[in-house]
Amino acid sequence: MRRLLVWPPQAYLIAFFLVPTLIMVASSFAWPGEEGGLSSFWVRDAQGIHFDLTFDNYRDIFTSRLFLVLFARSLGYAGLTTASCLLAAYPLALVIARSAGKYRNLLLLMVIVPFWTNFLIRIYALMIILGPQAALARILNALLDWVGLTPVSLLFSPFAVLVGMVYIYLPFMVLPLYANLEKHDPDLLDAARDLGAGSWQRFWRITFPLSLPGVMAGSALVFIPALGAFAVPDILGGTRGIMIGNVIKMQFLEARDWPFGSALSIMLTLLALVVTGLAAWLARRKVGAGV
Amino acid sequence: MSAPTKVILLAMLALFSCAATAADVLRIYNWNNYIAPETLERFETECKCRVSYDTYGSNEELLAKIAAGATGYDLLVPTGNAVESLIKQHALLPLDKRKLPNLGNIGAAYLDRFFDPGNVYSVPYAYTVTLIGYNEQKLHQLGIPTNTWAAIFEPRYLRKLKGRVTVLDDPRELMAAALLYLGYSVNDPNETHWREAAGVIMRAKKYWAAFNNTSYIRLIAAGDIWLAQGYSNDFFQAGLEARKAGKNFTIGSVIPEQGAVLSLDSMVIPRHAPRPDLAYRFVNFMLAGSNSAELTNLIGSGNPNVAALPYIKPAIAATAAIFPDRQTLARLEQLRDLTRRQRQLLNRLWTEIKLY
Amino acid sequence: MYLFLYLPLVVVVAYSFNQSRLGAEWTGFTLHWYQVLFADAEMMRAAWNSLVIGLVASVSATVFGTLAGLALHKFRLRLLPVLIVTPLAIPDILWGVSLLVFFVLLNLTLGMLSVILAHVAFCISYVAVVIRARLSGMDESLVEAARDLGATAWGSFRFVTLPLMAPGIIAGALLAFTMSIDDFVITFFTAGVGTTTLPLKIYTMIKVTVTPEINAVSTLLMVLTMLLVLAIARLSPQIPSGKP
Repeated sequence: MRRLLVWPPQAYLIAFFLVPTLIMVASSFAWPGEEGGLSSFWVRDAQGIHFDLTFDNYRDIFTSRLFLVLFARSLGYAGLTTASCLLAAYPLALVIARSAGKYRNLLLLMVIVPFWTNFLIRIYALMIILGPQAALARILNALLDWVGLTPVSLLFSPFAVLVGMVYIYLPFMVLPLYANLEKHDPDLLDAARDLGAGSWQRFWRITFPLSLPGVMAGSALVFIPALGAFAVPDILGGTRGIMIGNVIKMQFLEARDWPFGSALSIMLTLLALVVTGLAAWLARRKVGAGV
Repeated sequence: MSAPTKVILLAMLALFSCAATAADVLRIYNWNNYIAPETLERFETECKCRVSYDTYGSNEELLAKIAAGATGYDLLVPTGNAVESLIKQHALLPLDKRKLPNLGNIGAAYLDRFFDPGNVYSVPYAYTVTLIGYNEQKLHQLGIPTNTWAAIFEPRYLRKLKGRVTVLDDPRELMAAALLYLGYSVNDPNETHWREAAGVIMRAKKYWAAFNNTSYIRLIAAGDIWLAQGYSNDFFQAGLEARKAGKNFTIGSVIPEQGAVLSLDSMVIPRHAPRPDLAYRFVNFMLAGSNSAELTNLIGSGNPNVAALPYIKPAIAATAAIFPDRQTLARLEQLRDLTRRQRQLLNRLWTEIKLY
Repeated sequence: MYLFLYLPLVVVVAYSFNQSRLGAEWTGFTLHWYQVLFADAEMMRAAWNSLVIGLVASVSATVFGTLAGLALHKFRLRLLPVLIVTPLAIPDILWGVSLLVFFVLLNLTLGMLSVILAHVAFCISYVAVVIRARLSGMDESLVEAARDLGATAWGSFRFVTLPLMAPGIIAGALLAFTMSIDDFVITFFTAGVGTTTLPLKIYTMIKVTVTPEINAVSTLLMVLTMLLVLAIARLSPQIPSGKP
């Protein structure tokens, strides 16, 4: 039983995730090839074969303020995105989970269908909506003008990046939340009502604590990928949109420096794991062992 | 087995099998939309073979994929500096010129360039020029000169254009423009000059709206931005668009007096191409003037093929930014491939530029 | 909320009927881009490839992911949790490049198979995380009761655990399909000759302008999926839900 459950996914991920990425982890200690790609991990000379490795890539990351700022900025954006997604997704997931059976799956599908349209196409559409000629910017700037402030540009701003990120990552929050909320027993809430709990109290004391595993799962699915995001900041961020994901992509493409790209990727992965691990630990400690 | 599963399995079977059985397939790996559909169809009829056309979005993507060991393609169309890198990696097949009788159609200005002396490996396909495109009425009204990179880099002009300028999101192209503005060559190897150019970019950056490779065409045609660094064929398209939409402005593009970057894309055959015979036939086919002209007529790209000129739409052939005269042509430079050390420096400078 | 989700899609649909080639401005109604689309065999093939890869990958990943989610719920494991969470964090481009290097080492011809293998790998984690969130805090007494009443291990799984998990499985499969149909980076590196998908088509349109043909193909796909969704909702008996 145990083997049947554990081994198929484990073997698959070892073959197509662990082994390939370990090649790149090893490469983060190698020198880059002159024309990109990977140079040999060892050299062969008169004395025989010996390894030709270096810690330079990691030293570069830790000695440069540049990369610390980048990591910090990515953390900030990922955190904000996660929080905004949670705020937007929770009511939505709750409505879906509590709606009558025959509408439930339909509503759920209605949430996900927009995301089957290509990412780039959706972002371009968002650009048109945020653009200076569109209604949104005109109304906002008319208001600002009325209050006596200078008009702002919605497109190419940190605000646009955040809207874009929330739009892209929303389903990753809605679906786990829904999967969790859907199983809550309505009898519990009825009982609380009978005991005189108000609707707010019922939410904070019962629904929310019970849904914490869903919140944690959704937050992980948004926060971790958002940390490495590069396409949204690239397109919507204007002149200051760069994040650590952009810099990693650059190492593999423009700079043709795969070892340094691998080293940066490993640091990013570790950071993501540490932050989510910490959050999970905090959540468990706060709520107690029950969740 | 349920009906839908059956359908899916059958469909998959059909897909795998048709990929496996087609005997005469030419596998082209090229930029997206970089050939007119009718040209492709005509070639298929002529050689009685099928063409599989896959696409990449940048030279860097192509190089990364080849460096990781991807094979199976018969023909690539990289830009000069990427051809240079592929030659250094011994990834290309030396061409047998006897199989390319149409090679004489290429203009002398585009042959025997630094990246492939003697055209041992590459045959020119099409080119584009990186230049300045602008809203003619707006810039005239603001009194900003348009024939110089200063319009993009000098704060005294940019102050009037705040938030209305975009530049390319490409470290090589933007640095090249800044180097030209400072009076250096786009291939200047001097690190001090690079840092100077980075300084110029940093100073101008706060006036720009964005680094942008894709949407500036739309933004300038809609009147949202007034000035952009971009490619000659894109501004040609934007101009047509603005006219069609009945806008009260026109879009101009000009090669600045300091010079500009010319990107020449060339056809090359990978060393391990499965079907070099078909690739040769395709290269020779594309060298025929009438076939080559179709791409220019489709997207407004520059054409190095002299025999193509009679077939090109007069409006395109008369655009100086697409077909520059001899004097202007002399001011254009092609980018060289960078060494590892230069790439590292550029990468560091670019990260700093985009961070703050 | 639905407005926020659908507003950009309205723009996508509207611009598919726009005469303007660059989509800079509304210049008039046309069906031209649909004609272009239907004549464009490459684009139709790319859309078809995307659908096939998305379906095969999401179904396979749902099987692997459900097993993994169950395993994570039932047992205290060391390796599997790491293998589930790390893929979420690893940058796409590193994974894409390393898979390509790996496939080349294995001498595997790049094509549909390599793309599907890669897609299954990056979808498993999403399914597993959703399933685990569904199961956590689930009442184990139901399973025990079934066993006490004489159900076999398979029987209690089939008739008790599986129905309890169903909403999680559906949600996980939807996420997997979403991931697969939209992936560019990993697909780019693992794709071979003739395996162009829709995202590959769209992302590589950088050098040449994106035309409304893309809006047309997106609109068509959207209508198709909507119809499919409505048909499923109307025709199928109630999809089992966790509630009695």
